Formats: sequence, C-alpha cells, structure tokens
Amino acid sequence: MKSVEQCKQGLRAVVRFRRRSVFMMAGVVIGVATLSVLNSIGENTRRDTVKRVKNMLGTFDTVMVRPGGKTRGMVSLSNVDPSLRFEDAAAIAREIAGVKQVARLQNAFDVDVTYRDQQISPAVFGVSDNWLALRGDEVEQGSFISAEDDRKMVRVAVIGSDVCKNLFPQESPIGKTIRIGGVPFEVKGVLASRGAGPAGASLDNIVIIPVSTASRRLFNRDFLTMIIAQVKDPGDSTRVAAAISQLLRERHQLAAGMLDDFNITDPKAVLAQLTKVNSTLTMTLRGVAFLAMFGGGVVIMALMTLGVSERRREIGLRRSVGANRGDILFQFLFEAFIVASLGGFFGAAASWGGVEAVAAYQKLPAVFDQESLFASIALAAVIGVVFGSYPAWKASRVDPVAALRS
Amino acid sequence: MILAEGISKTHRRNDGAPVHALRNVSISISAGEFVAIRGASGSGKSSLLNILGCLDRPTVGSYRLAGEDVSSYSDRSLARIRNKKIGFVFQTFQLLPRTTAVENVEIPMVYSGGRVDRRRALQALERVGLGARARHFAAELSGGEQQRVAIARALINDPALILADEPTGNLDFAASTEIMRIFKELHTDGRTIVMVTHDESIAAHAGRQIVLSDGAVIQDAAICAEAQQQ
Repeated sequence: MKSVEQCKQGLRAVVRFRRRSVFMMAGVVIGVATLSVLNSIGENTRRDTVKRVKNMLGTFDTVMVRPGGKTRGMVSLSNVDPSLRFEDAAAIAREIAGVKQVARLQNAFDVDVTYRDQQISPAVFGVSDNWLALRGDEVEQGSFISAEDDRKMVRVAVIGSDVCKNLFPQESPIGKTIRIGGVPFEVKGVLASRGAGPAGASLDNIVIIPVSTASRRLFNRDFLTMIIAQVKDPGDSTRVAAAISQLLRERHQLAAGMLDDFNITDPKAVLAQLTKVNSTLTMTLRGVAFLAMFGGGVVIMALMTLGVSERRREIGLRRSVGANRGDILFQFLFEAFIVASLGGFFGAAASWGGVEAVAAYQKLPAVFDQESLFASIALAAVIGVVFGSYPAWKASRVDPVAALRS
Repeated sequence: MILAEGISKTHRRNDGAPVHALRNVSISISAGEFVAIRGASGSGKSSLLNILGCLDRPTVGSYRLAGEDVSSYSDRSLARIRNKKIGFVFQTFQLLPRTTAVENVEIPMVYSGGRVDRRRALQALERVGLGARARHFAAELSGGEQQRVAIARALINDPALILADEPTGNLDFAASTEIMRIFKELHTDGRTIVMVTHDESIAAHAGRQIVLSDGAVIQDAAICAEAQQQ
C-alpha cells in the first residue's frame, strides 16, 4: 500500500517537474529511436545481401567452377584461361555422385547487340538449356532455349528485361531478329526481372543464346567460362565441390603441388563469408545504438542529480513527516524508471517513422519486429533504473535537518 | 511525554573544530503541556527541537519519547515515530509550492502504510478554516493560509506531540494571532505542544517557558496566570 502511494507521489513529481521530465525523456527517446533505426538498417542490409547472393548463386544448391587459378569478379571469354572444356562439364555430370545436372556457360561482356537503329552492349551468355531451371529464373514472354536449339546450334536468343526495355520499348520482341556481334538471332523469349547482383549492377542487361551456337557460330571459342553443377542435396555441396576439384585435377593432369587451373565456389562458403561481414556490420550498429542509449542514461543521471539539489527542501519535508531513507530512494528510482520507460515508449513510436523513412531511402521493405521494440522499451527502463540509482542514492542521503534549514 | 537527560550535541566545523550546539540539557515535559523554548539565535533551540522531533540524534545523553528510548533507534524506526507521533510546523511552512493544499496535507499519510484518505485531508483543512482553498496550489496562498495548511498536515496522522519552529516568524500580526489561536485550541484538545520562538509576546501564549543560552538551559519556569493575562 505504501509503495502504491509512493508511486503516485513519484508520478505527480514527474508531472510537476514536467519540463525536466521531458528533457530526461528526450535522451532516451533518441537512444531508443537510434537503436530501432540502426537495427532496422542492419536487418534490411542483411536481407538484401542474402537476396543478392541468391541472385548470383541461384538457389544455393549450385557449385560454380571457373577457369583460372584465383579468378575474382565476373569472368568473360576475354579474361579467362582456356582451361575449362566442354568435356569437363560432361565428365562432372557423368562421374560425380550427388550432382543433379550440369550447366555450361560461355559468356562475354560488351558485345554489340542491335535491333534496327538501336544499339546496346549487354552481356551475352551462351548457356545450356538447363540453365533456366538451375538458376530459378522465369521466362516472362515466349519460351527458353531448348535442348534441340543447343544441339542444332540454332540462332535464337532469350533477352533480359533491361534489354527488352531498351530495344523494344513499344513492340513485342518475340520473333524479331536482333544482331549479336553482327550475327542475326531470332528473339525467342524474355526473362523476368531479377534485380541487382551482389555488386549492385543489374542482372537484367543480358542476352542468352544456346552455348553451342555461341561457341561455334558467334565467339568461335571451344572453352567454357563457367560450369555450374547443381547438387541433389544442398547440404552436400562442400563434398561435391571437393570431388569436382579432384576430378578436374586428374583430367587436367595437374601433378601434386601444382596449383589448380580452375576455381570452385561452394555456395555455403560464400554465404558464410557474407554472414560474417554482416554480423560485423550488425555489431557495429548495435554498438553505436548502445552508445546512444548510454548517452540517454547520462542525461537522466545529470538532470536528476541537479533535481535532487533543487528538491532538497522537499526531501527534508518528506523525511520530517515520516519518510525513511529507503522511501526517498524508492521514490526517486521510480521517477527515473517511469520517465525512462515513457521515453522508451515514445522512442519506439518515433522510430516507427524513422524506420519507414530509412526503408524508403534504402528502397527496401520496412523491418519492424515487435520483439526488438519491446526489448528496447525494456532496455530504456533498465537504463532509467541504473542511471537513476546514483541520484536516488544521493537523495536518500540528504540530511533532513540541513535540508529544512536551507 | 518527553524526558531528555544530559543531552549534548556537538558538530564539527569544516576545519575540524568542535561546535557545542547543546551542553548537558535535561528537560521533562508532561503530556498536554504547551511549552515555549526561547533564546537568541545560535542558542541551540533549533538543535534541541530537531532532537526532540527525532530528526537528529544527540551526541551524548538519552531521550525518551512517550516511554520509548529513541536515542538508539534506527533511521526506519525514527521515521515511523515522526510519522505517527509527531507533527512539525516550520517557520518557512515547507509546503510543495506546485502542489495543491489538500495534496500537501496528504503527504504524511503516504508514509503511514495505509491508503491516502482524501476525505480526512479535506476535514483537516476545514478544521483550520481552509476547506474552500483545498484545490489551490500552495504557492497561491497567503503566508497565514500556508501555515494553516502546514498545521493541517501536522495534524493529519493525529500525533500527540506538535513541534513548532518559529511558526509565526514569517507572518504578520493578524496571521500570527490566528496561528496562536489554533495552537491554543490544539492545546485545549489535550495535545502536547513545544514551540521554539525568540518572540516574547508569542512565547507568552505558552504555559511554560524554557530559555536557552549558548546551548544550555538557563531558565525553566511556568508562567503564572497573571502574566499570561498581560
């Protein structure tokens, strides 16, 4: 009963000194809002990275093999060793257990592609017919390259949505003839938009043709830029990657101690790497947010400590009518708790707007989970009690005799 | 009611030199007495009142209040005694300025362990003639009215002992007269009143005067009815 009445006294004091209470709250509001907004940025960035990696790797069940020792970045016919052969792809499909299918790729960038008087320079990908299923892509109009197209080296093309937009702004591209490096191709289909890759560049500025057509009738190269092996069990990708490595070393007759003339990307390893980068980012953001909260706590401590010296007479009076030291301590702690909790609440409300704004700026959906919201309000309350304990202790130590005389 | 024996209070100044606020004071006050403590400023009368009011502890000596030896009581026990048995009235009223009169009167009830009873607080204000001003902020009231609110607050837990430190020190003549009238009424009701004052005409309202000088009692005498008449 006594504590209930004391809480009421505390609430009245919060209202009575409303200006100070608002300033005390402000620090916590900023802290909680910072926490929520930074948390949302971190979470947004994480989801976005995972999405981009997925764009690049397809469905996380594909092991990529590229020619050359330590190839980095995007490969192209112009910058790779001719070490990866069509026969290697066939051998992988034939000999490695756990491989569902193998896609072959021969690609080049900045190839001139024209339609009437329009000219653009997209990436040109010569691919096997299973590319679509393996990548998890979708065809929006028309159809994809067929096995027969590949076998017969037919000059057909499937274009990305950016290419479609640039070459065919008004008309349907299906059945039209485009020229790729001067060679005429018939447009057979249009891919659905994929968005940005890990580097931020569009993955839709692309023209896809059968890999045999590319090899024999366009680029005149008999090596591949990439082999993509889809595994039956995504959990098995690391083992499959090792098996492919061993097979290729044998086929390329690399003696022990010689470096690989290819490199293999295990999707699990990529994801682990990115998750590591992300958790560093998240930790940094959390640290900053925690500092903001700490600042809010210091504001509470400073203003309350000043408040205690201003309210010495009130403390003396309360002591003279029967409050013991514990009662005074409790009242001031409760005031800090209430002000900080309210600050946490308003901060959460404010951060709602902040998160929406950041999401709009990042062009990503707003991440706003209830759990972290309640956690930040609770954290605010804890901060209030922790940083309120010094001024509350000081208040309980005020000598009533001296306080009443002042 | 009050039995103080051999009380001394020694402060230490900042330079470490001892200051003797009270020297070997012994006082006995019976229930129902109205006592004035007089003395020049610095004579130790406020120090004595603080000890009698359980706000401070004597350096040496024993103090029995209503049969309890409180000189060795803990902070918690002393707070309970202040709450239940003592009502304070201060020279500067000590009201919370941005709080209404009735809420000021309620404050002692907060620390009594029960519920705050708004009705009782209003009755206490009516008793000092301020029923109509109950919802005013303390800062909006005149000095005399503020002191009456303070008296209502002192009475709210029905204490046997009222301790007043220069209760009329900040008031004009009319207000002082009104406050003394209320004090006499409380005295008639049977409450024990100990009042510190340096004003002889105010002290004359009491039935007994104790004069302090330099921390020691130099005079302790009942005032005869004749003197009171004057």
